Amino acid sequence: MIILILALIITLSFYALQSRDLLHGTIALSAASLLSALLYYILHAPDVAITEAAVGAGVSTVVFVWVIRATKRKDDS
Amino acid sequence: MKKNKTDITKRKWFQITPGVVSEILPLLCVSAVLVPVFAISLPWPDQTKKYLFSSAILETGAQNLVSSLYLGYRAFDTLGETVVLLTAVTGAIMIIKSSVHTNNSYTFSQQNVPSKTRMLRTELLDTVTGKLGPVVLLFGFYVMLFGHLSPGGGFQGGVVIASAIVFLSLGSKSDGALVLTKPGVLLWIEAASFGAFLIAACAGMITGNGFFTNPFPSGFPAHAYIIFLNCAVGLKVGAGVSFLCIEMIQNKE
Repeated sequence: MIILILALIITLSFYALQSRDLLHGTIALSAASLLSALLYYILHAPDVAITEAAVGAGVSTVVFVWVIRATKRKDDS
Repeated sequence: MKKNKTDITKRKWFQITPGVVSEILPLLCVSAVLVPVFAISLPWPDQTKKYLFSSAILETGAQNLVSSLYLGYRAFDTLGETVVLLTAVTGAIMIIKSSVHTNNSYTFSQQNVPSKTRMLRTELLDTVTGKLGPVVLLFGFYVMLFGHLSPGGGFQGGVVIASAIVFLSLGSKSDGALVLTKPGVLLWIEAASFGAFLIAACAGMITGNGFFTNPFPSGFPAHAYIIFLNCAVGLKVGAGVSFLCIEMIQNKE
C-alpha cells in the first residue's frame, strides 16, 4: 500500500515536472499532495495530514490556478 | 492558441534536455545524502520521546503531544513561523498592489469570461462552494479549538478556515456580501490576533513566569493557555492566507 502510494506520488511529481500544460502540472501536483496526505495518515501523523491536505491540495492549487489564469497556460520552452 | 496546442501535442512529452538534467540531478544528490541516514540500522535515540510521553500532558495540559510541542516547549518557533507568514503576506501584497495600477477591484463574478464558462461557474461553483463553505468553516473552527485534544491545531485549523473563506468568496454572488470575505476585515482580524499572540507571549514575563508560559498558573488551567494560543495562531493564519487568496483573485488585470 505504502509502496504503491509512493510510486504514484513519484509518477505524478515527474509528470508535473515534465508536462507542457501548466494546468495539468498543477492538478498532478495537487493529486500528489493529496496522496501524501493519505500517506501521512497511514503513518499515524494526522496533524501533518490535515496540513498537507489543506495547504497542498487546497490553497496552493487555488493560488497556482489563479496565477496560470493571470499569465499563460502553456509552457513554450 | 489552437495552433499552439497542436504544436505542443506533437512534441514528445518527455525528452532529455539540459533542463531535465538540472531538475533530476539535485534530486539525486539529495537522495545520495539522505538514503544512508534512513538506511542505517542503529536505533533512533528515544530519550526525548520517553520524556514527552511521561510528562508532556502534565506540564502543558495538551493531550495532543504535537500541540504540547509547538505551543508549549517550542512556542518560540511558532512565533517565528507566524512572523514568516506575516512577512510573506506583506511582500505579496506589495507586489500585487504595485502591479495593479488602476484601482478597480472587481470580483470574479463580474469579469468578462466567455458565456459558457460563466454559466458553468454560476451553476456549479456557486452552489458547491456556497453550500460547502460554511461546513468547511465549522470544521476549521473545530480543528482550531480542539487542537489540544484531537489532531490539528492552530495552523491546521487556520488553513482550513482560509480555504473555507476562499470558498465563500467564490460562492458569493454579489460583491462583498459577507463580512468575512472583505479584505479590510481580514486584515484587521490578522493584526488583532497577532497582537493577542504577542501579548499572550509577553504576559508570562510580566507576572514573572517567563516567556511563553501561562501567566496565571493558579487561575487558569494549563490547557486554557494552549487553547488561547491555538485560537490566536489559527485566526492569524486563516485571515492571512485567505486575505492573500482573495486579493489575488480580485485584483486580476
